[in-house]
Amino acid sequence: MKNMKKILSLMLALVMMLALASCGSAGSGAASGSATGSGSAAEDASDLAYVKDKGTLIVGITDFKPMDYKNDAGEWVGFDADMATAFAKSLGVDVQFIEIDWDNKIMELNAKSIDCVWNGMTLTDEVKKSMATSNPYCDNAQVVVVPADKADQYQDVDSLKDLSFAVESGSAGEAEAKNQNLTYTSVSTQSDAVMEVSSGASDACVIDLLMAGAIIGEGTSYPKLTHTVKLNSEQYGAAFRTDSDLAEVLNKFLADSYKDGSMQKIAETYGVQESLIAQ
Amino acid sequence: MFLTVTLSLLQGLATTVKLFALTLLFSLPLGLIISFGSMSRFKILRYPVKTLVWVVRGSPLMIQLLIMYYGPGLLFGWELLPRFTAALVAFVINYSCYFSEIYRGGIEAIPKGQYEAGQVLGMTKSQIFCKVVLLQVVKRIVPPMSNEIITLVKDTSLARIIAVYELIWNGQTFIKSAGIIWPLFYTTVFYLVFNGALTLLFGYIEKRLDFFKC
Repeated sequence: MKNMKKILSLMLALVMMLALASCGSAGSGAASGSATGSGSAAEDASDLAYVKDKGTLIVGITDFKPMDYKNDAGEWVGFDADMATAFAKSLGVDVQFIEIDWDNKIMELNAKSIDCVWNGMTLTDEVKKSMATSNPYCDNAQVVVVPADKADQYQDVDSLKDLSFAVESGSAGEAEAKNQNLTYTSVSTQSDAVMEVSSGASDACVIDLLMAGAIIGEGTSYPKLTHTVKLNSEQYGAAFRTDSDLAEVLNKFLADSYKDGSMQKIAETYGVQESLIAQ
Repeated sequence: MFLTVTLSLLQGLATTVKLFALTLLFSLPLGLIISFGSMSRFKILRYPVKTLVWVVRGSPLMIQLLIMYYGPGLLFGWELLPRFTAALVAFVINYSCYFSEIYRGGIEAIPKGQYEAGQVLGMTKSQIFCKVVLLQVVKRIVPPMSNEIITLVKDTSLARIIAVYELIWNGQTFIKSAGIIWPLFYTTVFYLVFNGALTLLFGYIEKRLDFFKC
């Protein structure tokens, strides 16, 4: 009886400690958002050394044809994936691809669960501010997706004013919709935006040209959708933790592989050679 | 295509079931311990435990998952837990707190007279709890427990926020890679079958515990 009480109180003490610990981290999590930024900045001076020491470059990606996708053997391939593999090789480290929730990319980088995001990312001001970005390497555009049978009515920007749009929250498409004063709803992914149009919840959506090429039209779930107006043109880049020295290293690698033609070769494999930007 | 999707979803289901089973395994006993804490006579124990239950039940599980995985790295620059482990710890803490309240309800529903009767018969407190109270508690809490456990099956899908590749994640993948949407909705079939089996199991357990009335 007495023993049982002792054991019980010991266990309870343990639970309490857990409780205090979790309260502590939850509380300071809210308070020290800014402190985190400065803390990681100090460490990032040696990001290249950190990755070399670890022996692996962990690349955060999503499934995004033709930049990063799985081939039939289950390996990650694509223009970005192949370039990342070559980059890791030039550093003398292994490459590892991890599919992440794209909304959490900055947290993933700062928590060091990944070292780099390389996934057809549009270089916006926000992106450049929150991460260390490389030079742009590929052109892209934001396009309007509408049902194919209505496509002929919506061939210029003026015709879009009365439509309701769906856009990915925080995406370049959303920025463009805001720019053009379009009426829009933000959803969590570009594919959700396409689903909105397909189900009739929205009249149209704004997504990446390269993505539109891959997920709408014949052979997909959206054979009746097509893309019309190009709203803007934009550029893709890769990114690292804030102030990371790896961005400069990557820029040099991009320049070298453009000069020796290996970048063009990879681009041709995936049909993006016309969008390539000279380094 | 149907076969490819089914195989991929089964892979996701394996992660879902693993997360579900391990969460139950750890949170069922931990919940009982927490319920003792929240019923303790000692304020120094009772108040912190009640605060913990309030914080964990009162904040979104999604945020708890994010804190559990990214927190150590963002705040202190520590090594991160593996994704699955972080999800498991978050789920165990969250469900222990919910379970503890169900246990508390069950234990406090036992009439005081039974404790007094036990004392008159010369039983010790732990004897009374283990031999008289516990089985009645188990019987009473089966319906609310089954409710919570069925919710847990579906809550596991929240783990996708820290990139644990469970059922919904694998279903969504096909939208991004191939532009097909039916796999996402097809995942529902897996949840329905899983929960159907659990419902039958709980029905059976309730029947087996029907041999006494209380």
